[in-house]
Amino acid sequence: MNALIAVIIGAVTVYLAYAHYARRIDRNVIQSDPKRATPATLYMDGVDFMPTNRNILFGYHFKSIAAAGPIVGAIVAATLWGWLPALVWLVLGVSFMGWASDYSAIVLSVRNEGNSLSAVAHRLVSPRTRTVLFLFIFFYLLLIAGAFVGIMAQVMDGQPKTPLGIILLVAMGLLLGQMLYRWKMGLLGATVITVGITFLGILLGPLPAIEGTFKGFNESLNTMTGGAPIVTYFDPTLAGFKGAEAKIMPSLLFWAIAICLFCYAGSVLPIWRMAQPVVYVGFWITAMAMVLGLLGAAVGTFVKPEVAQFQIPAFKGWNPQLGPAGIMPLWPMLFVTIACGAISGWHALFGSVGTARQIENEADMLPVGAGSMFTEFLLGLLALLAVSVGAKGAPVGAFANGLGGFISVWGVPVQYAVSLAFAAFIVIVLVVTQLIFRVMRVTLTEWLGEVIPPCRNQHVASFISVALAILLVLTGTWIYLWQLFGAANQLMAALSLLLVTVWLASVGKDWLYAGLPMIFMYLTTVASILVTAYNLYFNVYQPNLVAGRVIPVVGSGLMVLVAILLVVAALFVAVDGWRAFVRYLRRPAPAPGPAPARG
Amino acid sequence: MFERGWKAFKQFLHGLAGYEFARHALEMRRELEAVFMVVTMGDLIGVPILPPVYSLRLLPYLVPEIAKWKRQMARRKEFWEKEEYDLRGV
Repeated sequence: MNALIAVIIGAVTVYLAYAHYARRIDRNVIQSDPKRATPATLYMDGVDFMPTNRNILFGYHFKSIAAAGPIVGAIVAATLWGWLPALVWLVLGVSFMGWASDYSAIVLSVRNEGNSLSAVAHRLVSPRTRTVLFLFIFFYLLLIAGAFVGIMAQVMDGQPKTPLGIILLVAMGLLLGQMLYRWKMGLLGATVITVGITFLGILLGPLPAIEGTFKGFNESLNTMTGGAPIVTYFDPTLAGFKGAEAKIMPSLLFWAIAICLFCYAGSVLPIWRMAQPVVYVGFWITAMAMVLGLLGAAVGTFVKPEVAQFQIPAFKGWNPQLGPAGIMPLWPMLFVTIACGAISGWHALFGSVGTARQIENEADMLPVGAGSMFTEFLLGLLALLAVSVGAKGAPVGAFANGLGGFISVWGVPVQYAVSLAFAAFIVIVLVVTQLIFRVMRVTLTEWLGEVIPPCRNQHVASFISVALAILLVLTGTWIYLWQLFGAANQLMAALSLLLVTVWLASVGKDWLYAGLPMIFMYLTTVASILVTAYNLYFNVYQPNLVAGRVIPVVGSGLMVLVAILLVVAALFVAVDGWRAFVRYLRRPAPAPGPAPARG
Repeated sequence: MFERGWKAFKQFLHGLAGYEFARHALEMRRELEAVFMVVTMGDLIGVPILPPVYSLRLLPYLVPEIAKWKRQMARRKEFWEKEEYDLRGV
């Protein structure tokens, strides 16, 4: 197997699924009508509701949904089960579920006066469903924050060639905000300066003097405790899943705290000051790496065949023997490990409030919603290719080696290409994480602000969010954390498809294209949460409890608790959804009224 | 054909890169304009509560915006709908 064949498979998948399945659903089931007024045109308010050109909206929606998720998931799945199951799930997932979820969420909102999923759930299913959605969002954010901070800290600590580029990215983001909003500079000039300097920082990272400086810095941090770890815990996923004592050294904790401080600033500062410009600078860095990588993967087979050959096994088994790491059956775990490249709940949430209100014409719903999802699938495919040809190192290392190999096809020396790939990975994850803390802060304020007034303070809310994420990082067992996040995300996708199914039933349309993926995702997700909770309890919580380690016990206990809450919430949604579905099958709902207004 | 493709690509690139700033600029402008609408509200409903000379001079610019402003203010919003809480890239 080589990268070219995988790229061809990807292109054929996109063509067949889009042209022969998605279009048919759009034409025969949804019956999109270019002459029907959309909420953007009906309720145009100049900002939220704004008719927007489909090409612009395609770019905007794609950028909004695609980044860390499809990349990290593909890396972990290929490491656990081999590249073949990951490829098959990516192809089948996006063809039959992913596009349907993203597109249908936009359709649902467009046909319901531009209302968000929670508002539609409140009207069509039950008021309780909206509350459950809040629960999902909170735990979703907590899990992903812990997972992302953990993996970033590991890379920053273990790869001394990376920090310079990342530090410059943050500095350039701050500078860009100042240039655009205070000095009123043009976007093009400001982009050239800030992206150029960041890029230079990334390329300078592997120079021995710079790499040595950061290495020395990490070592000097570790000598503060005489080389002793700060926290020790048993992690069954280490040492090739044989299980080992994991040690959190001062340098790792330093990078985790540094990342959290950056995210804290991104959370409390005005959006234009830090979060938005950092995302923008980061976008160009990752776009450069991804475009060079994808094209490199396509032509590498001819130009530099050694970088395009798959190195990892195609299939490692239905239930890889993981010893103390417990059970990891392909079903259901693969389907939550790879979330965003195949199907993602967050896309639906964003699509219903962000994109649906800018749809100018119903004929744009398919290219924007489904088109973006298929493009994200290609991003997931690139991550899978990179990790499959990379081979060397831990999952992220293998990804960076593979992507670096693809980039080196264009004449970039391999060490610089790998450095760019490492930096691109961190940038992708970092820019999302700062936004996660921002949303977490607001979620906490909304939830607890009435009951615990100090939570209304943005610093208190941000601090609580950061502290909870750090606790999860100190617990270790990163893979379980990632899978729990994936489960929360996929459960949200199932919930979104459930809403679409209920709506289709309520308007007397064929609901199978959304209903069948919903049933599959729902059963798979609940099963995966139970498996993860089992693994966490017996393989992490208990061994650390026996060893009397407080922090890992609290952290893994928290994760088990979250898992139980997710399952309970899922059961509530299923019961309410089923009742609503049966009700509408018997008696279709009346057409929706105008968007509800504040009294 | 080529021209149309190139135009579509440029629009896609704008959506990827610059559109976010354009939306944020609109968002900031809306917040500022909301303040102006509030200060001219007295004149709109016939109860001048602020020095009317300034607000009356602004009025011609604001009247065309009233319909949009009403929609913005009256619509129920979830807390995560504000643009700065969009969680991009997951």
